[in-house]
Amino acid sequence: MSRVSVPCHVKGTVALQVGDVRTSQGRPGVLVIDVTFPSVAPFELQEIMFKNYYTAFLTIRVRQHTSTHTPAKWVTCLRDYCLMPDPHSEEGAQEYVSLFKHQMLCDMGKVLELRLILRQPSPLWLSFTVEELQIYKQGPKDLGIWFQVSPTLPASGQYAFALQSPSMTFPKWLSHPVPCEQPAPLLEGLPDPSRVSSEVQQMWALTEMIRASHTSTRIGRFDVDGCYDLNLLSYT
Amino acid sequence: MAAVEKRRLPVAQAANFTGSGRPGVSRAAATAESEEDFLRQVGVTEMLRAALLKVLEARPEEPIAFLAHYFENMDLRSPANGGAGEPPGQLLLQQQRLGRALWHLRLAHHSQRTAFNNNVGVAYECLSASGRKKKPGLDGRTYSELLKRICRDGEAPEEVVAPLLRKIQCRDHEAVPLAVFRAGMLTCFVLLEFVARAGALYRLLEDPGLAVADRHVGQAVLDTLEGALQASDDTTPARYLEAGSRLGPDSLALAMDRALVARRPSTPMTREEFLEKAAALFIAKVKPVG
Repeated sequence: MSRVSVPCHVKGTVALQVGDVRTSQGRPGVLVIDVTFPSVAPFELQEIMFKNYYTAFLTIRVRQHTSTHTPAKWVTCLRDYCLMPDPHSEEGAQEYVSLFKHQMLCDMGKVLELRLILRQPSPLWLSFTVEELQIYKQGPKDLGIWFQVSPTLPASGQYAFALQSPSMTFPKWLSHPVPCEQPAPLLEGLPDPSRVSSEVQQMWALTEMIRASHTSTRIGRFDVDGCYDLNLLSYT
Repeated sequence: MAAVEKRRLPVAQAANFTGSGRPGVSRAAATAESEEDFLRQVGVTEMLRAALLKVLEARPEEPIAFLAHYFENMDLRSPANGGAGEPPGQLLLQQQRLGRALWHLRLAHHSQRTAFNNNVGVAYECLSASGRKKKPGLDGRTYSELLKRICRDGEAPEEVVAPLLRKIQCRDHEAVPLAVFRAGMLTCFVLLEFVARAGALYRLLEDPGLAVADRHVGQAVLDTLEGALQASDDTTPARYLEAGSRLGPDSLALAMDRALVARRPSTPMTREEFLEKAAALFIAKVKPVG
């Protein structure tokens, strides 16, 4: 996969807390990190990578370029993504995390600015943040189709995949909605689709086989549609 | 031992003909010749090897019956025996030949391609070694007759296979090359399997109470199959992917659901009609002989 790192400016963390941070006894539970891209035109975000440091939940908001007239709006593209399954224990506390664009709630084109909202409800940890933050965009030449199976999806065989080659056009059937998204109020008495499908696929395979096996040998007929048939000729 | 000697004689003479210096060999030395040599000389080794290979290839359930049939057919296969004395009459001989060819053709399923091709070759040989007067070669009449026999034995309704026969059979006077013969046989067997599949599909679709399938559902399934066969893309892998996507369970379920939801007055579709329509999809892809 070709991806290009986007130079970004990570602003200092801002704690959201009632009262004065220095004097108050309680530690903040929410931190905000703004990420700007000062020297880059609006780009399509591909991947966000960072090393977690005791952050339990992550929300990301994105400001996207819409048009020259209307001001860009903030959109939530990731909501309460769980980084630590149990905020009170170590698991996941210092892991490297990659978030891809297909995991986001919205389209990640024309990104102007990102805002990471970090939450840690557990008072056990002195501080929390994310480190080594890196933002990637789509590489210029990626001709292959790259399927990414998201590890967060259920392992029921229905995987969402991201097609990472915007330069190519894909046929419509390839972007069928994922089966689990379709409403399935199937009627009573409908034949078992999977068995029907299996039979129909066999029939398709047999037909394809005959279509593919063709002989170049010809029997050497010269006539067109039997117009030289002996019976026919004798009448004329 | 004497009988053995007698039988060996012509072979020995033939061997002597090469003049490799055996005329002086004593009788005792000749009998001392190993059994193995004898078997090879009279061709039994080769014959048994071929028979064993056939058994291995076909893996019959009853090997003894299979071998009996095999040797019976082998006797008839050699052209020298074909017209010996001509007692059975031309018609009977023709029927025998067809029967033999069919037996060979059925030895291997068409998906075992090499074995099937071998058997088609043997069957072709069987059929083309006809009467002594004619030149060897397979004429269109025998070929068409064989096609009809296969279809008739294959339990497919006549109106279902008739369009195929029209497409691939040859005229009586035409000489049928092996390649055309092979393609025709393959197509015929594959169609029979296709029809059997379609029959199984119909059983899945039919209403358990009424024993007939709903016309709209049946048509929807066939339309889905037709759509997959007419996949837009020309490149093979993409076409296969597309067909796989169209013929997946969810896609078919949706099509059938739509057909049922429409709630048009339901008319039944008979099994024959379903098979005919399904076979038409298949036959459309068959290239006609020309």
